[in-house]
Amino acid sequence: MGETAALLAEVFFETVTYWWVIIPTIILGLIVGGIPGFSAANTIIILMPLTLAMDVQTGIVFMVSLYCAARMGAGIPAILVNIPGTAGAAATPLDGYPMAKAGKGQQALSISFVASCLGGLLTTIIALATMPILARVGFYMHSVEMIVVMLFGISLIASIAAQDLLKGLIAGFFGLMIGAIGTDVVYATPRGTMGFLELYDGVPLIPALVGLFAVSEAFMIIEKKVIVSEDAEPKDPNWHDTIEGVKIAISRWWHIVWTSIIGLVIGVIPGAGASIASFVAYQQSRSYSKTPEKYGTGHPEGLIAPESANNGVTSGTLVPLLVLGIPGGATAAIMLVVMQFHGVGFGPSLFETNPKVGYGMFMAMAVSYVLMIFTILPLSRYMSHVTTVPTIYLAPMIISFTLVGAFVPREYMFDMYLALVFGVIGYVARKTGYHVAAILIGVILGPLLETYFLRSLKKSGGDITVLFSSNLGNVLWVGLVLSIVVPLWLDRRRKMREAPAE
Amino acid sequence: MDPQPKKRRQLGGELIIPVAAVIFTLYYFSTIWNSPWTAQVSAFFVGGVLLLVCGLFILRSVLWMARGEGVFGFANIFSYEDIRSGRIGLLAATIGFCFLIEPLGFTLATFLFLFASMLVLAKGRRPFFIAFLSASIALVGWAVFILAFDTRFPRGWFENTMRAVIGNG
Repeated sequence: MGETAALLAEVFFETVTYWWVIIPTIILGLIVGGIPGFSAANTIIILMPLTLAMDVQTGIVFMVSLYCAARMGAGIPAILVNIPGTAGAAATPLDGYPMAKAGKGQQALSISFVASCLGGLLTTIIALATMPILARVGFYMHSVEMIVVMLFGISLIASIAAQDLLKGLIAGFFGLMIGAIGTDVVYATPRGTMGFLELYDGVPLIPALVGLFAVSEAFMIIEKKVIVSEDAEPKDPNWHDTIEGVKIAISRWWHIVWTSIIGLVIGVIPGAGASIASFVAYQQSRSYSKTPEKYGTGHPEGLIAPESANNGVTSGTLVPLLVLGIPGGATAAIMLVVMQFHGVGFGPSLFETNPKVGYGMFMAMAVSYVLMIFTILPLSRYMSHVTTVPTIYLAPMIISFTLVGAFVPREYMFDMYLALVFGVIGYVARKTGYHVAAILIGVILGPLLETYFLRSLKKSGGDITVLFSSNLGNVLWVGLVLSIVVPLWLDRRRKMREAPAE
Repeated sequence: MDPQPKKRRQLGGELIIPVAAVIFTLYYFSTIWNSPWTAQVSAFFVGGVLLLVCGLFILRSVLWMARGEGVFGFANIFSYEDIRSGRIGLLAATIGFCFLIEPLGFTLATFLFLFASMLVLAKGRRPFFIAFLSASIALVGWAVFILAFDTRFPRGWFENTMRAVIGNG
């Protein structure tokens, strides 16, 4: 124990000496995270020759810092212009953008940065301390259990549907149908592809994200001179809003803790990812809030939940990679390739043969989060100015860079046209009162849900009762039902108490 | 007496998404008709619920129209404001950008798109500033994404010329 603590301290201080790599990488990560299509994974691939030329330690520090910063960067455009940089930040604009429109963009950015950094830092420490236990989570999560986890995320559609039940359900289920386009995983039969070979792998997420959020938003914002509401109080950049945002986030420290742990646990499950974590965290945060009616109107807790959770995922994805040699996501898979090039083998023996590399990854993450908070908080003063840029200049810039971003992941021109089609769907949806976030939840989670559903049925020979065949699955089912029913019951009881008082 | 008559809902616009959803769902069903049962069950469940909620929405809209609370109009989707604000012009420029980026390359297409769309939205005001801004943004995009990161953005005359110039320099 004492030896491990000494080693951890040594690795920590050694990692701090790499500040000259971490700080520029943070800035790079914030930029690439903010542009749809330029995820950390893509950037590491693009810069692969550079990464391979570095020594192992520098390579680790570079990749991990980029990963953390890109995750945080994705929240910046989500808050300021209603455009999530990645699918993992798709729940962030639900409350972040209303804050920006109300002239609280700087405060919203501070809340997001603090929630991300504290959530990321905390889950890094928890992951480090509980690695052997967390590594087992992946083994217990089979298809049946994953179906329930997906349903936790999809139940957010029901919350969105609260304003107009039919419209919410239409948007969510339309998204699920669109998400089902492509060949099915078991029989490889093309479904709903309209003859386009480019859709055989399913609907690519980035064009859907770009179209539904960025293109449609660009067509909406030109109705106003600037993004920020005319009735919002005009402000010059000041430290007050930044500090106020920090205070708001810290005063909700417990919220950061439990939503980031949701992210950590979901991140440990290979293939689950930040989008599921952020939707689940947002939904759970809303369910157990005393003021659920404030969600969607610019409520700080609605911003804290997805941001803490998606940064919790970053720590979680490293656990199966380091302990089992199984990458939990695309970025972790690329890290695996780079490290293998350097002769570092991941798996159970890593902490015996090469403990500095194993602990070094977590320490790089911890140091990145600490340095990130000091680097990024001062920038929030200037970033929030985006909301005051005239929309006649902003809208074309958003369209050009995000449409090209849609092209980047697969390098198909088709994806740009697809983003345009999703843009039209998103525009019509916004104009007629359908929630684009509900459509996107369906597009993201629909294919995953179907995959696990098909696998379960295939294994059970078509017996639908397989969904209730595992103990853990049944516990999760009860949890899912409770998470929907209990808040409704509490809300009803509160209203009944208030009624006699009136 | 009601001082202002209540604005009636434009239900034609609100029906676009449900009608599109119904058409797509029926098309989707036609593509899985001969698949094994296990491959159909998920789609039939999701599609079935979607058809049900769309049917209820259409029924609700018909009832509203019958009661005079809504009209079969599209004013919430398309109005004179779309032409006046430059939205139609921006849409045309966006479609043009998607089709021109392959033959012209990223930098030139981005410059032309930014210049045209900003000029339309600004109603022809400040053309020199807009030209300067568009050129700057396109050049920064080229420098970052093509020169520095070497991404596979569509290359055209400008990118090829610059590659030759830099290669010879």
